[in-house]
Amino acid sequence: MEDNVLNNGQLSESEKAPDEKQTGKKDDKSQLIDSSLPNLQSKEKLLHILHIILFIFIPVLVVLFMITFVLYFVPVLQEIKSGPKTEISNDPLLKKDAGYNKQIGVLVKDIQRLKRKYNTYSTGLSYIVINTTDNKFFLYKNKKLIREGSCSTGSYKKLLTAEGRSWTFKTPRGKFTIQGKRTNPAWHKPDWAFIEEGVPVPPKDSPLRWEAGVLGDYAMDLGDSYMIHGTIYKRFLGMPVTHGCVRLNDEDLEVVFNTLNIGSKVYIY
Amino acid sequence: METEIINKQAHKRTGLIILIILIVAFLIYYSVMSLLSPGRSLERITNEYAIKQDEKTKIDEKVFSDSTYLAKLKEKAFLQSKIALAESDSIYLTINLADSTANLEIYGVVVHSAKIKDLKMSNILKKGNDYVISSFLSSPFTISSSIATIKKDPLMIKMAPKDTSEYKPDIMPDTSITEPVNYRLEMTDGTRIYIYQQENEKSSDRMNLFRFDIRDRLHESWNSLKSVAVFKIPEYHLFIKIRIPRADAKIIYRALPKNGQIGIYR
Repeated sequence: MEDNVLNNGQLSESEKAPDEKQTGKKDDKSQLIDSSLPNLQSKEKLLHILHIILFIFIPVLVVLFMITFVLYFVPVLQEIKSGPKTEISNDPLLKKDAGYNKQIGVLVKDIQRLKRKYNTYSTGLSYIVINTTDNKFFLYKNKKLIREGSCSTGSYKKLLTAEGRSWTFKTPRGKFTIQGKRTNPAWHKPDWAFIEEGVPVPPKDSPLRWEAGVLGDYAMDLGDSYMIHGTIYKRFLGMPVTHGCVRLNDEDLEVVFNTLNIGSKVYIY
Repeated sequence: METEIINKQAHKRTGLIILIILIVAFLIYYSVMSLLSPGRSLERITNEYAIKQDEKTKIDEKVFSDSTYLAKLKEKAFLQSKIALAESDSIYLTINLADSTANLEIYGVVVHSAKIKDLKMSNILKKGNDYVISSFLSSPFTISSSIATIKKDPLMIKMAPKDTSEYKPDIMPDTSITEPVNYRLEMTDGTRIYIYQQENEKSSDRMNLFRFDIRDRLHESWNSLKSVAVFKIPEYHLFIKIRIPRADAKIIYRALPKNGQIGIYR
């Protein structure tokens, strides 16, 4: 340490008189040590900071490693083992075996029977498919798509009153049938139609409940007051804005009305 | 003074070594327990669906590994599953991994079809015994719960106006918003079907998927840790992960009932 300090350009003292050298040597040394102290202290400080950084970073790295190991590495490891794989064969000798042919025969018969049964579900008659997420309809006749276009379905609004009554305006999903067909239908307004506009609700048999011209030229009943009908709000077609019914434009409505019969299936998803 | 410092350092070192040993031991223990779980799952499926031969009408074992027989068996299994689904009279999903399609069906009628872009599944399903897996897939799966980045029913609450002065007509809904669609459907038997949107160019989409994935992994690992802590083998979930267009993913999620059913053909 001393040598280092001496080598750091402090040797000019050697030119002093020998007696002076004797007495001044000790002072020089302490002076040199004193002058190098700040240097040492700064190094120590640096080491201390390094220690702190390591003290923080190493546990963080360990924790990160553990998390990565548990979250990503273990699931990969789990997928390595999968159990014995079937050795798929195609032995021509086996195909001549009576037992094998009997098994295949049974399977083929089962498949044919199941296919026949499955085909009975898909109707050859006309039906309509309604997509409530994208507000689109698809009309089929003899299993072929004959028309598609935009429609409007339920708005997903939940109307609440201060008295605690509520209605959710969404189009029901599933399989429905056309239960009735009407031309120039008039709308019998339910309670929510008045409540929604802040208008007093008239009695059930009030003529105020009837409104003509808002459902278009045709309406097809699906049950539970849900209908496929026309609209005067054509700019909303393709959007979820209705109270649960399916709205079509005039041209599409006419084709749908003429294609579907009472009993025709309506698939809503 | 010096010896005290040396002792302190030695203590620190020993402590660090013990900690490292403990961490490594825990990770090994956790890994071993986790590695045992797929085996147990496979064992359960094999016990339930393996070939059970009658001594009197015993069939040559070779038949069960014949390619023609297995192809027919798979076809029969999928048809059985689809018929069971059609008879449920509800909206259901059929995933055909062989021709990469996911179909929404109602009572046997395909109402919506989506092309599967990318597919990943458990090695047990991918490489497992064909007869066992075909039998396992021959019954439809029922959804028990789901986690998604979108709402199932995007309900908006509207308070009724007190009178006509308070009435405000509805504004045109904004249909341009495209929210990322990623979800996990958990079946009653623990099988999980992950459906991710195919679109991943936007950083917000990638971030959303990362958040969804990390949340799922954290949830799964937490459950595993809880099991391992009480010396139990954690539960392994068979999985199928598919990527389909965002619009299709959204349609399927919104259309499937909460406890809807899914048929799978491999």
